[in-house]
Amino acid sequence: MTLPRLLRATALAVVAAVWIMTATLLWRATRVPDDLSLPHLDVRDYFTADELRRAERFERFLRIEFLLSQLALVGALAFWAWRGPRYVRESAAGRLGTGMLLGMLGLAVGWLSQLPFRLSEVWWERRYGILRTGYADALLNDWLALGGEFLAICLTLLIVMGLAGRFPRYWWLPATPFFVAVAALFIFTYPYLADTHRLQNRQLRADARAIAHEEGLGDVPVEVEKVSDETSAPNAEAAGFGPSRRVILWDTLLEFPDDEVRVVLAHEFGHLSRKHLPKALVWYTLFALPGAYLIAVATRRRGGMANPAAVPWSLLVVVVLGLVALPFENAISRHIEAEADWVALETTRDPGAAERLFRRFTRVALEQPDPPQWVALVTANHPTVEDRIAMVVAWRGRHRNRDGRDGTARFGKVYSPPVRRDS
Amino acid sequence: VRAPRVGGVTPGKHPVRLRIDDDLCRSRLTVLFRLLLVLPHLVWLLGWTFVAQVAAFANWVAVVITGETPAVFHGFLASYVRYTTHVNAYLFLAANPFPGFRGAPGYPVDVELPPPGRQSRWSAGFRLVLAVPAALLASALGTLGGPGGVVTVAAIGSWFAALALGRSPRGLRDLTAYGLGYTAQTLAYLLVITARYPDSHPDRLLDRAAPHHPVRLRLEDELRRSRLTVFFRPLLVFPHLLWLTLWGPFALLATVANWFAALAIARSPRPLHRFLGAYVRYTSHVYAYATLVGNPFPGFTGRESGYPVAILVDPPARQRRLVTLFRLPLALPIIVLSGVLWWLLILVGVFGLVAALVSGRMPAGLRASGAVVIRYGAQVTAYWSILTDRYPDSTPMVRTERAE
Repeated sequence: MTLPRLLRATALAVVAAVWIMTATLLWRATRVPDDLSLPHLDVRDYFTADELRRAERFERFLRIEFLLSQLALVGALAFWAWRGPRYVRESAAGRLGTGMLLGMLGLAVGWLSQLPFRLSEVWWERRYGILRTGYADALLNDWLALGGEFLAICLTLLIVMGLAGRFPRYWWLPATPFFVAVAALFIFTYPYLADTHRLQNRQLRADARAIAHEEGLGDVPVEVEKVSDETSAPNAEAAGFGPSRRVILWDTLLEFPDDEVRVVLAHEFGHLSRKHLPKALVWYTLFALPGAYLIAVATRRRGGMANPAAVPWSLLVVVVLGLVALPFENAISRHIEAEADWVALETTRDPGAAERLFRRFTRVALEQPDPPQWVALVTANHPTVEDRIAMVVAWRGRHRNRDGRDGTARFGKVYSPPVRRDS
Repeated sequence: VRAPRVGGVTPGKHPVRLRIDDDLCRSRLTVLFRLLLVLPHLVWLLGWTFVAQVAAFANWVAVVITGETPAVFHGFLASYVRYTTHVNAYLFLAANPFPGFRGAPGYPVDVELPPPGRQSRWSAGFRLVLAVPAALLASALGTLGGPGGVVTVAAIGSWFAALALGRSPRGLRDLTAYGLGYTAQTLAYLLVITARYPDSHPDRLLDRAAPHHPVRLRLEDELRRSRLTVFFRPLLVFPHLLWLTLWGPFALLATVANWFAALAIARSPRPLHRFLGAYVRYTSHVYAYATLVGNPFPGFTGRESGYPVAILVDPPARQRRLVTLFRLPLALPIIVLSGVLWWLLILVGVFGLVAALVSGRMPAGLRASGAVVIRYGAQVTAYWSILTDRYPDSTPMVRTERAE
């Protein structure tokens, strides 16, 4: 082995070791109690046969649709990687501008390939009452979102192709901090860009303040996003850094009983108190660095990323890498979400409300409580409803052992055990 | 052999042509009372329109059955089209003499119409539907279904100029004539006088050239359009619109600096001229791309060469201080006209999008009319940003006279 190769191999080994160490530390920094083992549940104890059947049917269609759409996407981008370079003649914009055009057109081709799937998804979700918008609205929204993606890819290609022009082999090294900075900027500014309003319910607002203090946070605003015209699905998110951090609830969630909303609030505050967004950014860095390196390697034979004609190929590489990374990213996401669930239970001490909330996810949002194993591993970015209820049961067992009783809700009314349904 | 379509005009004259034999001189008295003087003609035109509608229906039935226009209907409807053009030319100050009431040939702004001939029955059968895009364009550009924005604004400008100078500005007269000519072609098509679709290419409609101007258009764009880029054109232009928005405040600051500098040294300093020239060019490239007047994705720097719908800006020249001092009020009328022409450009973009998606080509007429609007916009921007003190010229011709 020659000296330069040896040096490269050593550097690669060092980088890999640092990567593994950081990932391990990060994984361990996000955890539920080490000794917590989730009991095995029979979902039929919690849901009627009708509810299980309906959720299963609803999700099975979406799973097949997801698989087919990903196949179509890869096929469309492979086609674009083959034919796209011809579109260089459609540009008078120089190297960077031409790269941007090919990047945008690549997204456009991908969007076209997803169109039938998107329409079928709209049809399916409307059929089950999840989606309330019409086909035209859904397509128009997608079309406008594509405009946002165009801007994003232009910025990305500006960074990548600009750096690749200067550092053809090692652009991925300086590009990664750029990507991380852009992602951080997006996380910071997102809450200001979201169309939200203040939470009106005074009691919930007071509870939110108390929960935030309980979790060691200061005053974090709780905002409401109006989506009920478009969907019946409930959702919430923690967003922002520092002064921009806040919790955003979809107004569909406010139709839930207050004790369940409090669990959601505690879960989202849990994301903030456990610093999940900065940790997610570090995870993003860990994936972006090797990802950018692999793109650089994959495009070398096509002239590297400095060459606009390599852009269509790079899009295909990005999508394939994204699909490969999906199970790992989802595993991390599930890990983070499980911790937020645990924090919510510890904060509210209201396992009954948590259990009712998770059961409602199946009844209202048609989440299948026990999807096939491969689905849970590959596509689920939250723990399954079954796992979430199992955590509630585990929490209850742990506290019953400790206190000799189920626990008392810290906010709102006293906990009462749920009535189990017979299937 | 197929006619060349790149840049220039496809040979083959449209059978409906506008002939201008006007010397631009205007009688101030008749200009002052033009709106009242034209009233008898408007009343007469109203009656004639009613009869013409009946005749047009009979003509349509005859053509659908026999494939030919009966001479009696053709003569009557041709006179109607001519008379409509005469009255509108008089009303919108494109001509000076009081027109006759019979629509006889010989008016200074006149229409040449083809003799009766064979027509496709299918084309005639679906004439009303086929004519919709042309009718929409004619109503914006000319006088179909009422006075359109372009001729109205041009007429208001001509009215003030003619009262002050006793002459109509040539650019405004030609712009109005262009609108009237396109309206006449559309009317002839609608009334089944001819089977030829209206052609909005100004160089084919009027046999003239735009005068030399320090801010000029060079049109080298091919008519081929990639359907993929056409379909996503409204989104592909997003990054450019964002970049243009970011550029805007700096261009405004540079304009203010340029104004002070031009007042002091009677010319635009070279760095400011270069920057603002690039801004004018870039704006034109973006608008050309957005409205399909240009095909390739433009660069982000407003380079002088490299884009096929190019705006050429002459180097800095001496400017009159008085004109510079009052630049903003002087620019107001052309800003208004430019705003009206914008609507035309939007129509060009919409129709061009549909046509290019269907055929993979941009119609030459639409491309040319869009290009002259873009050139006018560039001249307006150059005027208010003190790049030149030459007033914008609204002559809607792609072809330009050589510099003297």
